[in-house]
Amino acid sequence: MRAVAAVLALAAAPGIVLAQGNSGELVTLKVQGNVYVISGAGGNIAVQTGDQGVLVVDTGLAAMSDKVVAAIRKLSDKPIQYIINTHVHPDHTGGNVAVRKAGLTYVGANVTGNLTDAGVGAQIWAQDNVLKRMSAPTGQQAPTPFDAWPTETYLTGRKQLFFNGEPIEIVYQPAAHTDGDSLVIFRRSDVVVAGDIFVTTTYPFIDVDRGGSIQGEVDALNNIMDIAIPGLQDEGGTYIIPGHGHICDQPDLLEYRDMVTIIRDRIQAAIKKGMTLEQVKAAGLTKDYDGRYGAKTGFGTADMFVEAIYKTLTRKK
Amino acid sequence: MRMCKASFALALAVGAWGQGPGGYNPVGPGVSLQGNWGPVFHEDAHERGPGPELVNYLGLPITDGARMYGLAWDASRFTIPEHQCEVHIVSYIYRGPYNLRIWEDRDPVSQRLIAIKQYIDNYQQTRTIWMDDRPHPPDAAPHTWMGFSTGKWDGNILTVYTTHLKWGWIRRNGLRHTDQATLTEHFIRHGDHLTHVSILTDPITLTEPLIKTQDLVLRVQNGQTWLYPCEPVVEIERPRGTVPHYLPGENPFIHEFADQYHIPAEAALGGAQTAYPEYESKLKQAGTK
Amino acid sequence: MKRFQGVLFICGLLPLLVQGQARTPKAGATVDLTGYWVSVVTEDWLYRMVTPAKGDYTSVPLNPAGRKLADTWDPAKDEASGNQCKAYSAPAVMRIPGRVLIGWQDDYTLKVETDAGTQTRLFHFDASKAGAGGDWQGASVANWDVEAGARGALPGAGLRVITSHIKPGYLRKNGVPYSGNVQLTEYYDRVNETNGDSWLIVKTIVDDPTYLNTPFITSTHFKKQADSKGWNPTPCMAR
Repeated sequence: MRAVAAVLALAAAPGIVLAQGNSGELVTLKVQGNVYVISGAGGNIAVQTGDQGVLVVDTGLAAMSDKVVAAIRKLSDKPIQYIINTHVHPDHTGGNVAVRKAGLTYVGANVTGNLTDAGVGAQIWAQDNVLKRMSAPTGQQAPTPFDAWPTETYLTGRKQLFFNGEPIEIVYQPAAHTDGDSLVIFRRSDVVVAGDIFVTTTYPFIDVDRGGSIQGEVDALNNIMDIAIPGLQDEGGTYIIPGHGHICDQPDLLEYRDMVTIIRDRIQAAIKKGMTLEQVKAAGLTKDYDGRYGAKTGFGTADMFVEAIYKTLTRKK
Repeated sequence: MRMCKASFALALAVGAWGQGPGGYNPVGPGVSLQGNWGPVFHEDAHERGPGPELVNYLGLPITDGARMYGLAWDASRFTIPEHQCEVHIVSYIYRGPYNLRIWEDRDPVSQRLIAIKQYIDNYQQTRTIWMDDRPHPPDAAPHTWMGFSTGKWDGNILTVYTTHLKWGWIRRNGLRHTDQATLTEHFIRHGDHLTHVSILTDPITLTEPLIKTQDLVLRVQNGQTWLYPCEPVVEIERPRGTVPHYLPGENPFIHEFADQYHIPAEAALGGAQTAYPEYESKLKQAGTK
Repeated sequence: MKRFQGVLFICGLLPLLVQGQARTPKAGATVDLTGYWVSVVTEDWLYRMVTPAKGDYTSVPLNPAGRKLADTWDPAKDEASGNQCKAYSAPAVMRIPGRVLIGWQDDYTLKVETDAGTQTRLFHFDASKAGAGGDWQGASVANWDVEAGARGALPGAGLRVITSHIKPGYLRKNGVPYSGNVQLTEYYDRVNETNGDSWLIVKTIVDDPTYLNTPFITSTHFKKQADSKGWNPTPCMAR
């Protein structure tokens, strides 16, 4: 019986494998409470399920959306009612069209607009800058299709929702990874979805061209630190789903927050000494972390990180 | 000849007894490690008790990056509330003072060994070593202080492989391994003596695997002594998000330990070469006693 | 002592007899310990790679008599009297950084040579050949280890060596003493890693009622070498 209990205990623990395929396939893990993570489709995707339906945070790459929808359907056959985008990048919003199409919005007598279209697809929520960057003024070509755009946005502060018996907060993090970052907090499940403010795979990619900044990044990491409370023996408790990488708790985030802060401080000191960007890059100020977080190619390289910090620290306010 | 036939029949019968449907469970491999074990501190007692000196990296095969991390580490980081309750990682916890209780979880019907459990009273850690050939979790699963461990017997030696570790101490004076590290351990019992061999692999912070060996003795009494109800407090008022650290080249303690023990500062900075016999000759040539 | 050694000999050979094969200890070895091994000093660095200061007997369970003697350490005196090898004796030599070469001298005798101090230890599976000791390496009796209650030596089970009649010397180079009453129990185990590394783990239990409050227990690890690279026999050094 003890053995059975042990197996059951494992099944209830965070990280239990619900589906695991070969390389290139998606992995679905239970995080805790009503929240799951699907990884392998680009950015991590969080899924909250319950009696009312399904809420999805981020939708991965467009090319993976069929698999994403299938993975969501394995978790619940209830309607996908909400999509929340943590930010604008296509590895987090690419599946918006397909996932939206697989869902629906319940509408009532007071709904406005074209009633025949009102119930088609899930709602997509995001901070307002996400909509601005996905759409375009009338007459111009938008970078993403209309069906991928947020249907509901907020400007500042936070937006709240009560779904599947759980309070959910969507909290704006100004000028961090981009200018449209949101944390999604599942208060009952005690899970925070961080988007690309926090990744375990590389240095943070601070998208300066889309309004990101080092100080916003540090502030956002500290905001998550404030929300996350570690469990017994400094482990578990609040779980954090990073934009990329493994499920984390506060001690994992702490290591990352320290790293970002320390490198910022070093570059700030170098700037005070009058060093140029090239000199800072050549000084090896990230050498202690490059082996762990320095991407070799693409986003999140040491050079990109250093440059983003340097540029946003020296930017005229 | 008749005796041979009888022996053959007996051998068949024994074989059938071992494999038949009667539910006989053959003797499992390995030895029992169950009981209460207490560590012996006849090696590195200073480091393992009070703690290592700052910038004492002797004998550790650390990378340049790991060394830079260590030199940036300021012990004041322990005053940050979020750092105060940090548990010693499984690759380090057996170095500290602790009592170790080991027991087995067996299938209630077949009595097959499912897991070997350990309770380490320092930090109140319960560890599970799965013995049922289950796979390790996928990369996306959480990392923990004790990691995810699977074990197998090699004769009387229990070999354990652990993944999904958090960042943790290589030596608790600022040297840390990353969450990409893996750990291989061997638990070797000889009578009332247990040797714990730990071999840490982390290509990011170590140039070669780091081996340590710990000695334990069997105790007839339950060794449980410590509880760990850690509650962090603000020890020093600081601006939000402050992380104490030394800027590159500004660690004020870089020579302190080396000077105290009259060894070259370069030796104190560690590296794989400091662990091999040739280094002793180098020290002698440098005039170190 | 001889009777004790005889019992050990019988116990050592018993597993082989039980299996119905009159194999020699060499043929029936449960683990291959032979070859070149290099010590990797990741522990007790300050007590092994350099000679600690006089009076530093940290972590050795010395009793007052032992401490008193340790405080009189005089390496010049040892050198003058030809006793430079006091810290290269059986209870301490495996802790000295260096390489060891293990091989079979014959079917019943395992030979351990150290390049540090150029010492030779002979582990006799036939106790009657162990001799009377009296030198730095004493008289050693070996057997493949069998746990109490076990059905025999398990594959991979290590080697147990008991050594006595050792000339009084040092547990550490700085004069931390052991007496002529010392008895040494050692276990030699080998572990093989998936990356191809093999390690020799030597657990050493020094029991000396004259100078120790409790047995002094250490474990020392050596990495397997493919060849003799680095083998460099050197004389004993008192400091």
